[in-house]
Amino acid sequence: MTIDWSQQRYWDEVAEGDELPPVEFPLTVYRLVVASGSNRDFNAIHHNSEFARASGAPEMYANTTFLLGMWERAVREYIGLRGRFVGIKGFRMSSFNVVGETVTVKGRVAGKREDGPLGLVDLEVWSEHDDELTASSVSVGPGTVTVSLPRRG
Amino acid sequence: MTVDEDWKAAWKPLQEAVGRDFGDEAVVGADQVEAGLIRRYCEPLEFGCPLHFDDDAARAAGYEGIVAPVSSVLMFSIPAMWNPGDDPLFTTAGRDDQPARSPIKPPTIDVAPPTTGYFATDIEFDFLTDLLVGDTLTRVGNVLLSCEPKETRVGRGAFTKWQWEMQNQRGEVVARVRTGLYLYNAHDSEAPA
Repeated sequence: MTIDWSQQRYWDEVAEGDELPPVEFPLTVYRLVVASGSNRDFNAIHHNSEFARASGAPEMYANTTFLLGMWERAVREYIGLRGRFVGIKGFRMSSFNVVGETVTVKGRVAGKREDGPLGLVDLEVWSEHDDELTASSVSVGPGTVTVSLPRRG
Repeated sequence: MTVDEDWKAAWKPLQEAVGRDFGDEAVVGADQVEAGLIRRYCEPLEFGCPLHFDDDAARAAGYEGIVAPVSSVLMFSIPAMWNPGDDPLFTTAGRDDQPARSPIKPPTIDVAPPTTGYFATDIEFDFLTDLLVGDTLTRVGNVLLSCEPKETRVGRGAFTKWQWEMQNQRGEVVARVRTGLYLYNAHDSEAPA
């Protein structure tokens, strides 16, 4: 999906329950290797199947920074260029996001508030991945990404 | 003492160290924040936000110039794997042999039992200052917040939580970070001596 970065979301327009457009990340060996090289987490559990299995994981799996980056992209595409990241809470990785799966980042507006001149928004964000037993299950989060958005007027 | 109690008892010294700052030395990131590294960081994410590529767009949005993604603070704080003059990292050719040293491996903790593996479980951030092209990051402190021994499907070990700060070259706090690490011995492995 092409993002129109000229569009800016404003705090005044956001309502609790609004949903973020989901963003999908298919995980191939190729992509995990590029990710490890780009974010410098070269722990072999993230690019070597045999090593990952010996560590107790079912397969090589996406590293923390890569998964964080997925959240950042999904949130940034929602908040626009003038939105700012304030904090991330509850980024808990409850299961491995392994090669051969597709990770989908989803989210919704959990609440909005004012802090002086800032318009803050709490976004509930989570990642889902394919699962052998279910069609999809939560693998990261749900957590809270707090952002500030510009205000009208 | 049963076998079950025995492995848990090995973690007691670390449990008693909750509150201690294990970050004796500041850890300096290997690379200055550069536009090329930001581009590479965004590549596998297919993350095309102009703030990370386009200086004019970043300035129009209120930044001083191209800004690094907030999630890249971990990457920019990783020290070098190897520097000129260092001993070799790769000395054997076994398919799965590991380098002699790793900049991302948790530091040896004197009061923790030896373990064969680790992985991150969770992470939290407070973002306080923009990370801009030209900045360098230094990781300061490493306070143990909690330690809970637990057996999981991958092995026996402990869930630990740590807090530290990322500071830029001016000493400004770019991010405050709290992270969970599971340190463990895999079920099929023998605990290292």
